[in-house]
Amino acid sequence: MTISQVNLSRRVFLKQAATATGGLAIAFYLPSSLGATDPKAPTPTGTFEPNAWVRILPDGTVKLVVHKHDSGTGTHTALAACVAEELDVNPMTVQVISPEDPFFDTYIHPVWKVFSTGGSTSVSLEYDRLRMAGATARALLITAAARQWKVSPDSCSTIEGRVVHGASQRSLAYAELVGVAAELPAPAQVTLKDPAQFRYIGKLRHKRDAQAKVCGRFKYSIDVELPDMLVAVIQRTPVIGAKVLSVDAAATLQVPGVRQVIAVPGRPDVLGGNVEGVAVLADNYWAAHQGRALLKVQWSESPLAGFDSDELVKAQSAALDDKGAQRVSAMAAGDVGAQWPVAVKLLEADYRMPYKVQNPLEPICITAQVKDNAITYWGGVQVPSSALEAAQKVCRIAKDKVIINEMVSGGSFGAREAKYWLFEVAYLAQQAKVPVKLMNSREDEMRSLFMHPATLHRVKGALDKQGRLTALQLNAVSPASPEQWEPGYFERPDKMDYSTTEAITAWDFAYRPANLDLVWVKHESNVPSGWYRSVSFIPNVFAVESFMDELADGAGQDPLAFRLAHMHERPRHVAVLKSAAERAGWGQPLPEGTALGIATHQGYTSFIAVVARLSKKNGAINVDKLTCVVDCGLAVSPGGVEEQIYGGLMWGLGHALFDRLDIKQGRVVQSNFHDYRVTRMSDMPAVDILIVDGEPGKPGGVGELGSPAVAPAIANALFSLTGVRQRSTPLNLG
Amino acid sequence: MIEFTVNGERRELVETSPSMPLLWVLRDHLKLTGTKFGCGMGLCGACTVHLDGVAVRSCQLPVAAVAGHSITTIEGLSATQEHPLQLAWVAEDVPQCGYCQSGQIMSAAALLNTGAAVTDDSIRNAMSGNLCRCGTYGRINKAIKRAASASKEA
Repeated sequence: MTISQVNLSRRVFLKQAATATGGLAIAFYLPSSLGATDPKAPTPTGTFEPNAWVRILPDGTVKLVVHKHDSGTGTHTALAACVAEELDVNPMTVQVISPEDPFFDTYIHPVWKVFSTGGSTSVSLEYDRLRMAGATARALLITAAARQWKVSPDSCSTIEGRVVHGASQRSLAYAELVGVAAELPAPAQVTLKDPAQFRYIGKLRHKRDAQAKVCGRFKYSIDVELPDMLVAVIQRTPVIGAKVLSVDAAATLQVPGVRQVIAVPGRPDVLGGNVEGVAVLADNYWAAHQGRALLKVQWSESPLAGFDSDELVKAQSAALDDKGAQRVSAMAAGDVGAQWPVAVKLLEADYRMPYKVQNPLEPICITAQVKDNAITYWGGVQVPSSALEAAQKVCRIAKDKVIINEMVSGGSFGAREAKYWLFEVAYLAQQAKVPVKLMNSREDEMRSLFMHPATLHRVKGALDKQGRLTALQLNAVSPASPEQWEPGYFERPDKMDYSTTEAITAWDFAYRPANLDLVWVKHESNVPSGWYRSVSFIPNVFAVESFMDELADGAGQDPLAFRLAHMHERPRHVAVLKSAAERAGWGQPLPEGTALGIATHQGYTSFIAVVARLSKKNGAINVDKLTCVVDCGLAVSPGGVEEQIYGGLMWGLGHALFDRLDIKQGRVVQSNFHDYRVTRMSDMPAVDILIVDGEPGKPGGVGELGSPAVAPAIANALFSLTGVRQRSTPLNLG
Repeated sequence: MIEFTVNGERRELVETSPSMPLLWVLRDHLKLTGTKFGCGMGLCGACTVHLDGVAVRSCQLPVAAVAGHSITTIEGLSATQEHPLQLAWVAEDVPQCGYCQSGQIMSAAALLNTGAAVTDDSIRNAMSGNLCRCGTYGRINKAIKRAASASKEA
């Protein structure tokens, strides 16, 4: 039996900080306000607010505060479950709310030091302190009941929102205890549940909000409506970097319902100053949309007018040969250079991936009102720090006058980590002096310029006469991480840009040849880039896992056996790899015209292996099945993990077969789903997902885990099927 | 003036432009916001409603074209909000972000309306015009089958 006991002094809160190796250190700190409850929260008399996550009202209402944005990933359900489990209330029936003050210190991201949701970190990084918050509240409620009954707290237990004294068969609802509990000192020691006693964690199959979402009642950012509100759309820079020279809005202003036309200046701190635009404000979207089509904007020349994404690879190749290019070692061991001359076999290959764009189904939408030196936002705000930055920089509004009415969004995948729209809406709300709802069209999403950057990887490997990998060198060419909320965050003392080196650092890279040289080569094209689900895992895993197959082929070995032979002391990784292979029938006879391909990686302290099965019938190649095994330590919500992995696999299929955004003469070519293809139901193969709980029994991230291994698994199966190696995506299935 | 029926209620539009897409009439004039905007080109299916029982993309349909016809939106699919598909969607916990799901359910309801056999093929054919970026296709397939068998038993 495992019971964690943690000592707490009065009103102290847990603070987690990531260590350099991605593990967690736990420290204590005193919050800025002694009570550590939200200072802006209205406090009804007698309300029990033991910490930043629990509110119990005298009328029996239990509110759990979840300080993370939910973009449909089930974060609210999983995080509420962590508090609810220890508090002993049902996470499916209590109220879950967003913080009254999103900028309360305690809600800051423990690693990034900003108010943000992302990086598949919400559950893994909040698991301990949210359980502690629930357990602390529960301990106080038990103490309150024990005093009333004049019994020992140890003789009391809790069940479903009640404290129970079994010996005397008495019980009290939490609501009856809040008055007393609120006056008690925080417990010196809190006992966390034995995981074997969990009722919700590890057992949840459903999310909280399905009912409202199937009836059209669930409200999204696009459904916000306020008195006197105007709807804005923005004609943004068509050629990246072009500036507005002049605007003729005469025809636009003739459109019934159009009220105002406002030029929105570009800002150097937003998308590198490459975007500005002209906004049309109208009574409704259709009027604004029609008005925008009639705008006559004269744009300046742009230095990027000659940019062509097809030509980018030449510049990236040149960067590889450029001794002056900025290089950062992600991982190194031994001396690869010494191995090249003595290798029995040398292999070298280039891998490429194109620009991609997120395309959440709900286009970006946000409403803001500037009034009385305060700004109020309504909508899905994934990065409150960016909303704050916009308020401060654009409107000169103080932090305590920034209010966010946070909503669940219709998907993000990185798109909502951009800040351009928050700056734009703050500006428009200030100028228009009425509430403004800024809406993107699909075309605006495609051309948001918050793209996943195109990349080039050059990989080289040496095999000895036993077919062992003796040296591996990888150069990953990409721009630096996208615009940051905190400039310089990724420019740490070791100069490592963690967001470009995912999967190729010491803690994520699976293979251990004696000589390793994994390098990130910085190459800026001056085209802005953005966050995108799974970030640099996508190109890095595609290159590494494709090349491992090429090496296995070069060594005349089975791709699975070759991988296993080069992993050391990675039991969880080995286990998912073997398990996925076995489920997919690896090594068993396959029907004629069928082939398997395998790929794997570690990320977000979770492990995944994917096997793709392809077949060729009547000349056409089809992806028939994806088999996937995941070890995420502990699946707080197994139903949620399964759907995140399914979604990730779907994204990975998109990377393999469809995703490609082109830029010609500085303009994004694609505009909507007819020319930017995304995965449809008819594209989905059969999917088999197995989720296992591995050591150390704590949750790893899963939101971005599913996609990166899919494209290399498919490319590897394609090689096995056709004998032809494809090294750039989208892959051509012929 | 344009007259048509929405969810069983007769509606008259006086000042609305006849070229305004039905989607924006529903959302902005009639305040039926369950129908969603995703692409504006009939490519994603988020705006799917029924025109006389058949699934149509409301972002591509000028409101003048529905004069005299009957429109059903997600809000009117079931008076009790317990259409077999809605129950099945909850049972299978289909929605992730949920933004596409009104359209998904309306497309699935149109499939069930045809009385055609519910198979993997017929589901794929009926549903491949509806995009989901979260990745709920697997659960949608299960939910449609669940609803179809529930309807048969009822």
